[in-house]
Amino acid sequence: MSLNLKVLGLTLEYDAVPILDGIDFELQKGEMVALLGPNGAGKSSLLRCISGIIEPKGGSVFLNGREAGSLTSGEIARQMAVVPQDTGVDFDFTVEEIVQMGRFPYRKGLRKNEKSDEEIVRNALETTGILPLRHRSAATLSGGERQRMVFARALCQEPELLLLDEPTANLDIGYQWELLEVVLRLNREKGVTIIAAIHDLNLAALFFQRFILLSQGKILAVGRGEEVLTKSNILTSYGVPAQVFRHPLHGRLQVSVSKEKMSTENAGKEGKNERVHIIGGGSEALPVLEALWEKGYSLSLGPVSNEDSGSHFARFLGFPVIENPPFSGINAEVYEEHLKVMKEVKCVVLPPIPFGEGNIRNLEAMVEAVAQGVPGIVLGDHGEDKDFTGGKAAALLEQMKEKGALFVNDIEDVLLYMKGCGNEYFMKRNK
Amino acid sequence: MRKGVGASMPLKGQDDYEKSARLKKGALIISLVLLLFISIIAAVVLGAASISIKSVLDALLSPIPFFDNLFKGIDTPDIQRGIIISLRLPRVVQAAIVGASLAVAGAVFQGLFRNPMADPYVLGVSSGAALGAVLAMLTGGSLFFAGFTAVPLFAFAGGILTITLVYYISRVGKAVPVMTLLLAGIAVSAFLSALVSLLTYFSGEKLHQVVFWMMGGVGGAVWSRIMTMLPYVLVGFACIYYYAGELNVLLLGEETARHLGVDTERVKKILLAAASLLVAAAVSTSGIIGFVGLVVPHFIRLAAGPDHRILLPASALLGASLLIIADTVARIIIAPAELPVGIITAMVGAPMFIYLLKKRKKLRYFNSNSN
Repeated sequence: MSLNLKVLGLTLEYDAVPILDGIDFELQKGEMVALLGPNGAGKSSLLRCISGIIEPKGGSVFLNGREAGSLTSGEIARQMAVVPQDTGVDFDFTVEEIVQMGRFPYRKGLRKNEKSDEEIVRNALETTGILPLRHRSAATLSGGERQRMVFARALCQEPELLLLDEPTANLDIGYQWELLEVVLRLNREKGVTIIAAIHDLNLAALFFQRFILLSQGKILAVGRGEEVLTKSNILTSYGVPAQVFRHPLHGRLQVSVSKEKMSTENAGKEGKNERVHIIGGGSEALPVLEALWEKGYSLSLGPVSNEDSGSHFARFLGFPVIENPPFSGINAEVYEEHLKVMKEVKCVVLPPIPFGEGNIRNLEAMVEAVAQGVPGIVLGDHGEDKDFTGGKAAALLEQMKEKGALFVNDIEDVLLYMKGCGNEYFMKRNK
Repeated sequence: MRKGVGASMPLKGQDDYEKSARLKKGALIISLVLLLFISIIAAVVLGAASISIKSVLDALLSPIPFFDNLFKGIDTPDIQRGIIISLRLPRVVQAAIVGASLAVAGAVFQGLFRNPMADPYVLGVSSGAALGAVLAMLTGGSLFFAGFTAVPLFAFAGGILTITLVYYISRVGKAVPVMTLLLAGIAVSAFLSALVSLLTYFSGEKLHQVVFWMMGGVGGAVWSRIMTMLPYVLVGFACIYYYAGELNVLLLGEETARHLGVDTERVKKILLAAASLLVAAAVSTSGIIGFVGLVVPHFIRLAAGPDHRILLPASALLGASLLIIADTVARIIIAPAELPVGIITAMVGAPMFIYLLKKRKKLRYFNSNSN
């Protein structure tokens, strides 16, 4: 693989304030790198130094082994295309006319467009999905359409190196995805080397394998996701504590701003000092947990295995969880602990979780607690499809009803109950 | 890339659209050429001495090989031929050259500055030229150089010196940001105008001459002066037209233009120099004629879009025709006296511009995304 881009000791100052402070990196042909970093870290400045728009104070940029400063602007434009951040169009050109300008670096004198140029322009319009817009005035396009037009123009330059400065900033999630997929295809099928400054770390993690993280004009980390997207790197550069985890669906790294910022300080005041226990975990429990947490209630959860999503949520926000070993039934010890927790809370909520032999004891424990006078709320639809105990669960729920537990359909009803509205309210509402 | 979908399969409608767009542009150029031709004939026919259209066509066209047979039957008296060839025609030709120069320079400045307000005088060429002209008139210089008498020579030099000064004032390192250029132009222009006013104030009996010059006019045109001016103007036009494609790309912003391989600093310098040459040549021979350079490019953009490959020649044609018509009106409206043509262009140009503004609500091809 031949060398494509080499940046050596790049420095840049603006009014004696250092913007870039010794940037060194190399990209091999066909690499695809996301340039990350907070606002003002120097991402755009770095890209603009590479594209030759601003002249660095020191250091140099090499394109295919030749110093960029020694190349003519035409030579550069035939090797490198840029999709800039700002894509305003002032004049009334049609979309096609603007995309055609991507062929400008290949123009010779006053010659008209050649047949091959037309085909390239057409392909670019098609790839970016703006072929139907080609005769529209560029000034009438939406932000997203405009961005795709600029991208199409860059494609027409047939670059070996493509610089993208926040290419997805104006796009909705659908087009963000679409644009980055085109970028990815360009990289895979044509071997175009790509550097993209991207704000959205999670989006970057989805499409890129290699990252450069800038912080205060310096490279803080380079490399694969797990080397760059670490808790400490994100804290150093962005100044926020974050959780880094693998996405449950696609397994890519994901970054989430975490608990110090999302403390109970930010939650509501309604439920101060009142504790609610939620039985079970999983996706059924999460909405209830979230709604109650938002209102500021103290929560407890369980018993669940420590890999349960509800258990992640609980640990993330720092409330207690009764843990049970994975894939095992509820033993006597856990049962007792569960019962003890339930007796101390203001209310126990049972989300519409499925019951099997593994967790039926939790339902028994709740029946026992309700029988001893702990207010219990059964939320949602506990139909036969969630009963894997051959009717045992249904029978226990029937007992619960007799003991005076409340059956509601909506999380709002749980909140209303907690707020102190009487049972009469629900009676009316649930009729 | 989606595997070559439709690459070799032209859409129906694509060709139709392009054909109709090309047809429209062709029709525009042809009708502008016709307009120019008609206005030249009309301008030569109209005037104090009455001359028939036939004689005019005879005098104008019979030197051309094919046409001489056509006018065999017509016998134009030599005196009429003389009036046509050495009095009326040079004036018409000068009006055409000046009108075309101003319109093209206006289009270039508007494009270069991406500003619809820009006109040929935006960088102070007019005030520099005026200062030169006024100096020449007051010192009564009998200088004669390369076909120029003192007034046009000084005016030309004043214009070129001013643009050079403005250019160097606005340099930041190696670059010349257009915004700085615009502001420097305004400042220098204001200063030079003040000097002109000062000199005018003390000009005594020359006051009338000075004021009349500044109002602009193509009276007193002679072939020798036209021939002296022509090379400058032709070089200016050629340079500008050669860079029409670059001008289009520059409309997308300087940064984008550089990404697309335009050597922006060099192109800017060349375009500024070429456009200033046109303006200086125009101002030196005809004084300050307003509105042609501002209005004409706007009209063409409305009709044919911002593409400079059409905009530049079409502006030249329309500018030439407009100034010929305006000068003819100036010549005959209070005959035998003459109005300065600058008064006519401003009085017709300003309302036309306002009409344009009102009709289109906004000039959509400028800053349309910033509302």
